[in-house]
Amino acid sequence: MNRERYQRQIILNGFGIEGQERLFTAKVLVIGAGGLGCPALQYLVAAGVGLIGLADDDLVEISNLQRQILYGSEDVGLLKVEVAAKHLRQLNPDVKFVLHPVSINAENALRIIKDYDVVFDGTDNFVSRYLINDACTLLKKPLVFAAVSDFEGQLAVFNVEDENGTKTNYRDLFPVPPKPGEIPNCVENGILGVVPGIIGTMAAGEIIKIIAKIGKPLTNKLLHYNLLNQQQYEITITPSNEYKQVLGEADFMNRHKKNITETYLEIHIEQMIEMQNNPATLIVDVRERHEFPKLDSNVYKQVPMAEFENFAASSIAQQNIILICQHGIRSVAAAEILHQKLGEAKNIYSLKGGISKWRQFFLTIRHER
Amino acid sequence: MQIELISFGKISELISNQTLETEGIETTDNLKEYLERTFPDLAGMKYKLALNKNLIQQNTEIKNGDSIAIMPPFSGG
Repeated sequence: MNRERYQRQIILNGFGIEGQERLFTAKVLVIGAGGLGCPALQYLVAAGVGLIGLADDDLVEISNLQRQILYGSEDVGLLKVEVAAKHLRQLNPDVKFVLHPVSINAENALRIIKDYDVVFDGTDNFVSRYLINDACTLLKKPLVFAAVSDFEGQLAVFNVEDENGTKTNYRDLFPVPPKPGEIPNCVENGILGVVPGIIGTMAAGEIIKIIAKIGKPLTNKLLHYNLLNQQQYEITITPSNEYKQVLGEADFMNRHKKNITETYLEIHIEQMIEMQNNPATLIVDVRERHEFPKLDSNVYKQVPMAEFENFAASSIAQQNIILICQHGIRSVAAAEILHQKLGEAKNIYSLKGGISKWRQFFLTIRHER
Repeated sequence: MQIELISFGKISELISNQTLETEGIETTDNLKEYLERTFPDLAGMKYKLALNKNLIQQNTEIKNGDSIAIMPPFSGG
């Protein structure tokens, strides 16, 4: 460790060489290398956290660049964790990186998370957030939670005991996950880049406080931040009795393992292409009308999520229904709605990874027609 | 009796921050019923109340001058 690099923080009262050594022996897992993950990573790496795990299976998209500040125009189409690690290695060669270019799911979550001291959740959907929360609670890992919406952000520290021995997690706030599509994510919702910039930076601050054992982390607190009026509102979280703690690995798997084969199938682009020209196949784009890229409405029927219930209740002639959206998250929600209405009467598919993953295909097809 | 309402995220588009005259609203459960009746869209949303900055986990008495925050979950990253 090159002490000179960290001189300005080593001389801080209460931080010192002990604080620096604690950082340098710490292992932090950052899940989601997006709007929240990018600034958090930059400060954690600059501060000299010893080992950083990066988990994200997304590719850089042009619409990410207004807020995901580790990526540039030339990175579009590349794997986020690889681009991020390249820049971060330049920033501080003292730091070791472990790349997890996967989507955190029931099968891999416990195995990945168990090797780290602190976990940062900067993901963009509730399925991942509840999964990460339950895995960290089960493994007793401190979890720094950050989330944004429009001009506002939320920040909290879970699974860390306060002076009375009380600890809380996300389920003490919201015991049951919202139904798919109930709360919009960044894709449907707008977000100003500085908001995850601020919240992600605050999250890095909390992680550093937990590791270096300085100050008072947001233990059992939920911090609300509003950029428009520069106000913060801090709420004390108390334990809820409205949910059951995850009891063990088997219980965790039961809660989070998707039983998708019985209801709908997630397919890849090749499978969609095979079915596409079959007159018995209907492809439905469930994105909002303002989203890009726009697709040919003669080929892809557009039904935004707000109108989907009505669509699902209408009579659909085709036997195969393929649902698509930007990232393959809303289309899963739509598939569940459709399955509830239609049961086994139709074959329901969701395009995994969505239009953004297969952007080239969708754009080329559009030009040919 | 008067209470102060503070709302966040999408809920602030529905219910603006305001001082509320609360005749007949004595508990947080009463307040929930009142809010969901007055703002029907709220009934379909996930939210949590905090009374004087403490999360409400069970029905709690409301007093004159209390502040109540209405918070939705955020998922964006």
